[in-house]
Amino acid sequence: MVIHRRSVLAGAAALAATRAHAQGGGAPIRIGLLHDLSGPFAGAGSVPLSVGAEIAIELFNERGGAGGRMIQPVAADSQSRAEVAINEAERLIGQENVDVVMGVYSSAHAVPLAQRMQAAGKILWINSAIATAVLKGKHFTNVFRPTVHSDQYGEGSIAFLAEHCQRTTNIAPNAFKIGIIHEDGPYGVGVATALEENANKIGMPIALKEGYSATAPDLSTLVTKLRRARPDAILQVGYNPDITLFLRQAKAGGLRTRMVIGHGAGYSQIDRLAETFGKDINHFCNVDPAGTQMLDPAKLSSQARELQQILLARYRARTQATDAPTHASMGFNNSWIFLEHVLKPAVLEGGGSIDAIRRAALSVDIPVGGTIQGYGVKFNPPDHELAGQNARSLAVVMQFEDARAKVVWPTAIAGGPPVMPLPADNAFALR
Amino acid sequence: MDPFLLEAIVNGILLGGVFALPVLGLNLVFGVVDVVWLCYAELVMVGMYCVWFLYTQAGFPLALAFLVCLPVVGLLGLLLHQVVVRPLLNSPPITQVLATGGVIFVLQGSAMLAFGTDFRSLGVEMPPIEVEDIFISGTKLVAFVAALLGAGALWTFLKFTYVGTAIRAIARDREVMPLMGVDPKRIYMVASAIGGGLAGLAACLLVVQLDVHPYIGLSFGPITFMICVMGGLGNMLGGFLAAFLMGVIVSTGGFWWNTEMSYVVAFACFIVVMFARPRGLFAR
Repeated sequence: MVIHRRSVLAGAAALAATRAHAQGGGAPIRIGLLHDLSGPFAGAGSVPLSVGAEIAIELFNERGGAGGRMIQPVAADSQSRAEVAINEAERLIGQENVDVVMGVYSSAHAVPLAQRMQAAGKILWINSAIATAVLKGKHFTNVFRPTVHSDQYGEGSIAFLAEHCQRTTNIAPNAFKIGIIHEDGPYGVGVATALEENANKIGMPIALKEGYSATAPDLSTLVTKLRRARPDAILQVGYNPDITLFLRQAKAGGLRTRMVIGHGAGYSQIDRLAETFGKDINHFCNVDPAGTQMLDPAKLSSQARELQQILLARYRARTQATDAPTHASMGFNNSWIFLEHVLKPAVLEGGGSIDAIRRAALSVDIPVGGTIQGYGVKFNPPDHELAGQNARSLAVVMQFEDARAKVVWPTAIAGGPPVMPLPADNAFALR
Repeated sequence: MDPFLLEAIVNGILLGGVFALPVLGLNLVFGVVDVVWLCYAELVMVGMYCVWFLYTQAGFPLALAFLVCLPVVGLLGLLLHQVVVRPLLNSPPITQVLATGGVIFVLQGSAMLAFGTDFRSLGVEMPPIEVEDIFISGTKLVAFVAALLGAGALWTFLKFTYVGTAIRAIARDREVMPLMGVDPKRIYMVASAIGGGLAGLAACLLVVQLDVHPYIGLSFGPITFMICVMGGLGNMLGGFLAAFLMGVIVSTGGFWWNTEMSYVVAFACFIVVMFARPRGLFAR
């Protein structure tokens, strides 16, 4: 799959031009789409995230927009750099006159952006950046995040291991050693902290916990230290250059373990990982919101099922991808939640003002199964410690097999039990 | 001795081998032309794409892809000199630095337009070598040996050929050598082509270890410059030794503290060296 930055920008421009000519019931509504279309994050999921958002806008406009008012996206490239993200957000709200900025891949960008958008009195709709620190204790009124937050990754990962380690490895949770390695930005630190806290709660020993820079040219010393610590499972939180570097050096460095668990971002780019490592990543797990194709359609509402099919068909048509990455689902789903369930009622009932958007967001009440990623939507109110966070978001544990992923936790919605420990023929399995 | 510590030290030495080639190329160009190629890591990136494209897309055997990469990046170095550096030879250093810095964006943008933002992998692996309880990456070991051979070939060229002697002489005294009949313009071109060729060789060694993407230069570019300055900008032997020193500092620093701290330690060492020997650790 090849998605060029220029094709993304051209797609957004064409979409915007089409909307400008659309016959509608009023002036178009301009929305800023802020993604990393260049730089390291572009290839680590941000481009599929932006494509998903564009498909949602395209579909929303085809269905009549918000009371006849079409959406006119204004695309911006944050170039995988926080200072560029802030400058672009300033441009969007100051020069492009948008009231809503949507997207945001990286938590390192989301932390300052959330402060800035709140101060400017505009709406920030976060589709991907998951660090709990973005919202925790901030009591923002203008920042909303429908997707999961990093604490849920920690809960999911540790609960999954605790549930399955005794049965599959004959090691009790309080003796099952884990190694936590993470990139050192807000995303990596947030998830790693949640992993540590959840492990400590159940007495699961941590053999090693260590951060590293996502642009580090070498991680072989980290591999050596993991070999010395001998964890039963390695839990990595990283983007993409660092994940492939680590796995390559881990294999060359003779690192063996019973399970490897990723936590979104780079691990969600299954096709990329499979292209690089082939069957070596079979039976690795990944914690993330579910990609829509991984869910049993029977467990989704009829509207969600229909949207699921539209997204998958359009994403494949646009990108020639064999499978839509999780970030495409996130981009589409979370944008659709905003457009259909927040913006539309805000325009119809409140004229589309920022106050009306805020009220509409806090009124959203979608039950579990009502979105294409399976989770429901109910945003925490401003007095909540995690104000603006979707309280019904859900992280699942999925397991890879031949470049596909299936849900293996929570057990209630799992497609089957996990393969654990890694089978003996896996390059990373204990011999 | 703790076998894991020994493994970390060996890894550090092998890492130094990876750093050494771009350091040699940068120092050669600076020593002769007196211009810092800020875009050097991006030349390596172009070389990595060249190998990736020839091997995975055009179906070239890997060895042939490597052989093609060296002159391609060498020519790119020559082109860089002729188009960007040569017109600015008499300009203030800041102008030269900004110009070669601008080339970074040209090369990154061009790579992104040509290949997109995806990470590209060669998919080539070598089995690790296990000695007692120590694992040595086969890929890294081969890269290390190739780096040493490349450095040896460069030393032989500079020591035993007429052009090599002229290059060294120009590096010693840029003003007097033209009076002795050496054409500095020609020597600049040769040095730039060799500097580019060394970037091509570094690309061949890195592309089997790292995924290539338009911003891969960010991973090793800054530390390469730091090593050059630490060893003495323009001092090839100094830079070569500093590469190994820095590799071991990063590796053992990561072993004793943590991976993040290893770079803090490396930069702290760099600052101390700059205070103690501002012209570099091995400056003459």
